[in-house]
Amino acid sequence: MSWSSRLAALLPSTVDRDAGGTEPDPRFTFANERTFLAWSRTALALVVAGLGIVQLLPPFPGVPAGRHLLGVPLIALGAVLAVAAYTEWVRNQRALRRGEPMPASVMPWILAATITGIAIIAAVVLLLSALR
Amino acid sequence: MTTPGPDRAGDDPEERDAGLARERTSLSWTRTAIAFAALGGTVLKVNLATGLIILAIAPVIWQLGRVSRGAIPGAEGRPPAMTEVSATRLFLITVSIVGVALLCLVIAILGRSAPGALR
Repeated sequence: MSWSSRLAALLPSTVDRDAGGTEPDPRFTFANERTFLAWSRTALALVVAGLGIVQLLPPFPGVPAGRHLLGVPLIALGAVLAVAAYTEWVRNQRALRRGEPMPASVMPWILAATITGIAIIAAVVLLLSALR
Repeated sequence: MTTPGPDRAGDDPEERDAGLARERTSLSWTRTAIAFAALGGTVLKVNLATGLIILAIAPVIWQLGRVSRGAIPGAEGRPPAMTEVSATRLFLITVSIVGVALLCLVIAILGRSAPGALR
């Protein structure tokens, strides 16, 4: 499957048409939608945290790029998470329509790995800043 | 892994009521709109125009959550499938968040910082 056809499969007009199967129980569609919205809020929280770090924190003494090192990846992760949340919603909705088992999600892993990475960078920046 | 089906909705009476599920989803949309407003308020502190744009998205998100699914006419006069209606709304939310994130990225990289602005 090429990238263009993968992207086309994510368009709203194709989700319903390509999925086949039957319209699932509304409760499952609602639950899937709420999960998407919860991930969207997480994405927004990451964006606001990143922006807050870059724009509102005082600079770290001795580490001039410290705020950008912490904030920019958070904002980028927010955008990635929003797209991933939509992709997951489409996959889950297709599975619901076809009566298949729900696909495994990689989003918690992505989030955990990135937050761990940011925490390590934050610790290093703070240590360097304290030593100067 | 669970297999979805009408008989697998859970033992909780609330889980068996689609009306309450709709209400919980509506509240979830409201929380998302509030999250947009909060982000807009924060950005307002550092960039007025961008903050106003993001703030303006909040009521749109709230309104998207209030759209009555059955009231939207589909092809041949029948209501469209729920999946199709949801897909359009969720696609719009995704596009909004990616747009807002890109704006914030530009502000973060190029904008003048205002340390201590929240004090």
